Amino acid sequence: MTTASSAEPLPGFIESTFSPLVNAVAHRCLVEHPGDGTRTAVVLGSVVGDATTTDLASTLMVGGQVGNPLLFMQATPNAVLGYLSKEFGITGPLVALSATADLGFELLDAAAVLLDDPELDRVLVVGVELAANDRATAALRELDVPPPTEDYAVALLVDRDSPAAEPGGQDLRQLAALAAQNKGSTP
Amino acid sequence: MGEVVVTGFGVRTAFGRGADAVRRGVFGGVHAFAPTTRFDTAPYRTRFAATTGGDKPDALRDVLGECADDAVGMAGFTAGEDTAVLVGTAGDFAALTRFRRGEAGVEVADTVPSRLADLLAARLGATGRRLAFTNACVASATAIIHACGLIASGRLESAVCAGAYLVEEENFAKFDSGRALSRGGVIRPFSADRDGLLLGDGAAAVVLESATAARRRGARPLAGVVGWGAASDAHHIARPHPEGAGLAAAVGRALRRAGDPDGLRVDYVNAHGTATKHNDPAETRGLREVFGTRADRVPVSSTKSTTGHLLEAAGVVELVIALLALSDGVLPPTANLTGPDPDCDLDVVPNRSREADVRRVLSINAAFGGANTALLLERP
Repeated sequence: MTTASSAEPLPGFIESTFSPLVNAVAHRCLVEHPGDGTRTAVVLGSVVGDATTTDLASTLMVGGQVGNPLLFMQATPNAVLGYLSKEFGITGPLVALSATADLGFELLDAAAVLLDDPELDRVLVVGVELAANDRATAALRELDVPPPTEDYAVALLVDRDSPAAEPGGQDLRQLAALAAQNKGSTP
Repeated sequence: MGEVVVTGFGVRTAFGRGADAVRRGVFGGVHAFAPTTRFDTAPYRTRFAATTGGDKPDALRDVLGECADDAVGMAGFTAGEDTAVLVGTAGDFAALTRFRRGEAGVEVADTVPSRLADLLAARLGATGRRLAFTNACVASATAIIHACGLIASGRLESAVCAGAYLVEEENFAKFDSGRALSRGGVIRPFSADRDGLLLGDGAAAVVLESATAARRRGARPLAGVVGWGAASDAHHIARPHPEGAGLAAAVGRALRRAGDPDGLRVDYVNAHGTATKHNDPAETRGLREVFGTRADRVPVSSTKSTTGHLLEAAGVVELVIALLALSDGVLPPTANLTGPDPDCDLDVVPNRSREADVRRVLSINAAFGGANTALLLERP
């Protein structure tokens, strides 16, 4: 398990810290615990997603400016997942999801569902939120969700021996705490 | 593992709402591309998209709701606490544009993907889990795969899976900046002269249930979901693996789950078929890897040739199209096919639909980052 609130830039990705953060925590996890990429899946979760990229592209478009092809490339979470899959030879499923409540639980549960597949041994679970921009703040307030005030990412590797997800109330920081409490079973 | 069945669906494409509109357009081999009136296309390399028209797209929440209403109505299904609502969406981008323009009364929360799943669950009275899947062109297929896993493992008895994308300027501008859009006004999957994709309106919802639960309430399954799989290319953040490796792996997982590892019982494939330079030959090679010497005899078509690319909705809309092929005994064509490409040398059902006695159909999708999905349906 590893967390980060800042990260070095990632080649090919610009402006937003979303993909560099994902890469930083995932990279650390996977380097410290190498495994068979053909039997590994990745689940990435974020309530809002990469609002920095989305809103920068939107601002350019609304302002009548030419779009940056790099923003097109990194506009979906698939881009950084694809980067990681190439880096570590991961050929299992790549999943990206958003849940308004209990995102940590949903990520662990998605990992458990993936591990029902006998062709998979482990799932890299990554949660990431960026400090909320104006749009994310307005949206999250409507949803009665506290807007994040800083960038934050957490990654953990879940394998067949990991404890099952317990339902209820896990945000990303609770997910990190849960992982820290179970170091024996979450590498 | 328990059996998963489809008991209802709702669908909307540029041809209109409902299955008959799909039959008329997609199975008729008619494309829906026209200059879009939803925004000023002057800054872009093309004016064309496949839409239902209008000056602005409907709210995604409403379109998802209509499709889900149709799906549960067809299924005679009432959602409850054991029903998951899983939606493939990246959020409502038209709402984002209005927010950035400073318009009043914008439902800005609808730009958060999970909000659309929450709203759909509330509309259906489903109090179980709600998730949005955000992984681009495999988003709604991934939602369906997740639902199949939840149901087959006994964690849940039912799910409503949906996806929606309606043409708007945000994504149009992004795809234009990436030079991914065709300049020819139509798209020509598997043709030698293909030059890219065009976007289209699409939304659909399906009701998935355990076969036991469907039987218990006397519901008639429309199809069984007998196989599902996902896999990644580990190749490039934007381009597919040139040999279609991840696609073949995803299909392989689905076929092994269905007890047919060599795909001998697959009668039709609804391809991803984006009409981009890289996708179509990669997909061809991936399917040749799966089917071996039988590949020449398996009909494969790209219905994006009629609907356009539906982004997050592609998986669920194309599953519905595959379901109609299964139930109607008709294969939808690859429209707009002109010169054949030797690198795309499958039986692509060129330009005209074809009657066929199909028992098993496969629907495949691929996305940025090398993500691939496969869903296999069987006639009851």
